[in-house]
Parts: sequence; C-alpha cells; structure tokens
Amino acid sequence: MELTPDILKKLIKSAQMATDQEIGCEECFDELHEFAELELAGKSPAEAKPLVQDHLDKCGSCREEYQALLEALRNIENDN
Amino acid sequence: MINWFKRRRNKKTSYDTNEEWVEALSPPVDEQAVEVLRKKLIQGLKPALHKYVDRELDQFVEDVAQDALLKVLDNIDTFRGESKLTTWAMKIAVREGLTELRLKRYDDISIEDLKPNDESREVFSLSVASNETSPDRSLHESQLIDKVMQIINEELTDKQKKAINALMIQGLPMPAVVKLMHTNRNALYKLVYDARMKIKTKLELEGIDPEKMLNKL
Ligand SMILES: [Zn+2]
Repeated sequence: MELTPDILKKLIKSAQMATDQEIGCEECFDELHEFAELELAGKSPAEAKPLVQDHLDKCGSCREEYQALLEALRNIENDN
Repeated sequence: MINWFKRRRNKKTSYDTNEEWVEALSPPVDEQAVEVLRKKLIQGLKPALHKYVDRELDQFVEDVAQDALLKVLDNIDTFRGESKLTTWAMKIAVREGLTELRLKRYDDISIEDLKPNDESREVFSLSVASNETSPDRSLHESQLIDKVMQIINEELTDKQKKAINALMIQGLPMPAVVKLMHTNRNALYKLVYDARMKIKTKLELEGIDPEKMLNKL
C-alpha cells in the first residue's frame, strides 16, 4: 500500500483542522433538533452553535442525517 | 355534558404544545398521540429517505417509524423542550432510518477489505507511490513526507492506523469502517480525532508549519 502525495495532503489537512473543542457525533446529535429549527426559522444556527456546524462540516454521516432531517421537517412543517 | 367533553378530550387528534405531547407520550401512554406522531414521522420520512430506498419504501418507512416511536417513548423523559417535540422525534426517526440503510448498504463488506493492514504492525507500508514521485521532487519535500510517515508510524496506535488507513487511504465510507471495525460512529470519530490531534501536535513540536508543508506538496 502506498501513500500518495494527494492522500498525504488530505491527511495533513484533516490534522491541521483538528481543534481542541471539536465535538463527536453524539454531542452533535444531542443538539441537532435545535440546530435544525434555527435553520428552518431562517436564523443562523452556525453562529448560535458553531461546534455543531464544525462537526457537520467534518463528518459526512452526521451531515447526511442533518440534510435528511431538514427534508423531513420541511414536509411536516405546514401542518405542524 | 361534562362526560361528553371528557370523551372528546380523550379523542384528541392534535397536540399543539410540547406539554401536551409530553403528557400524552408519558405513561400511561395516549395511543391516539402515538398514532398522530406515527403519521407525522411517516409523512416526513418518506420524502427524506426515498432517494436511499429503491423498493418497498412504504414498508421500510413504517418499520422505521415504529422503531423510532419505541425510542421516543423510552426516552420521553430526556426531552428537554429545546425544540418542538415533533422535531426531536423526527431527528430520532431519521437517524434510525439512515442507520438501518447503512447497515444494509454495507451488508456485503467483509473484514477481507481491511486485510492488508493486518499483515504488519506498520499499517501502511509507508512509501510514496513511485509513479507519483517526480524526478525533481526536492530533497526537502521528501523529507517532509518522511516526517509525516514517521509520526504516523510512531505516534498512532494500531487502531488509529487501521482507521486512518481505511478512511483516508482506502477511501472507505465511514459507515463501512464502523462495521468493519466493530465499533460505532461516535467512537470511530473520536479515534480519528485523537489521531489527527496527535499528528497536529507532533508537527507543531517539530516546528513544521502544515500550511507551508501543504504548499510544498
Ligand atoms: Zn458525526
């Protein structure tokens, strides 16, 4: 197995982006319902909850769930 | 008259406030509320999950809603009211659905897919791909690459190397790696996070600026 410069770059970038306060998937999930409502209300969830935004930027699985959640909520919003 | 009102109240079909929801979903559970919530979850899940499900969407979504409802009822005492109850419940349902789909998606993946790592303690037999090495790659540049490789080999645990190898080198999606490593998403994220922090810290200690390093690669 070989490490190409491209992979190395990816690796260094992801290390460089690591921060002390980074949260994990569970902590992100704990706040996701609030985060989603802020977004649907047109407020800025990223400002209110920067660590959640940071996790969503870095974690594809949580991002996928968040997108699906927004989609689901938009479809029940009208009669909610 | 009073009796009639009571009966009407029991036949409630809409729950407007979180207080009403929480009361209805706490024991003794109001079956009517469960049905109203079930419908709502299904109504949201269908459009949210349809692109992931190629057949029997209705049945899949109903199963997901059922599993999610059980979780909602089990955890109703942890709902702190920071959002509408339906938002919170939908969050649980969406995760339930996507988790199920991911398990199915990687049904076929086997531990064989990670085999190369098990052969040696050095997870990547670390070398720069020869076809990527240009003749004029500077000495400085290859020193930097060597440095990172050394950090990975010396500082990371076998588990961390395995995770980084699977995710970044083999490019496997996270849910596949979760399954292969018999872990959960949160634990995997933390494992890789610790590895990233180690690499970052070590680079700093060595006085290497990752920004400059990236520019040179
Ligand atoms: Zn995550």
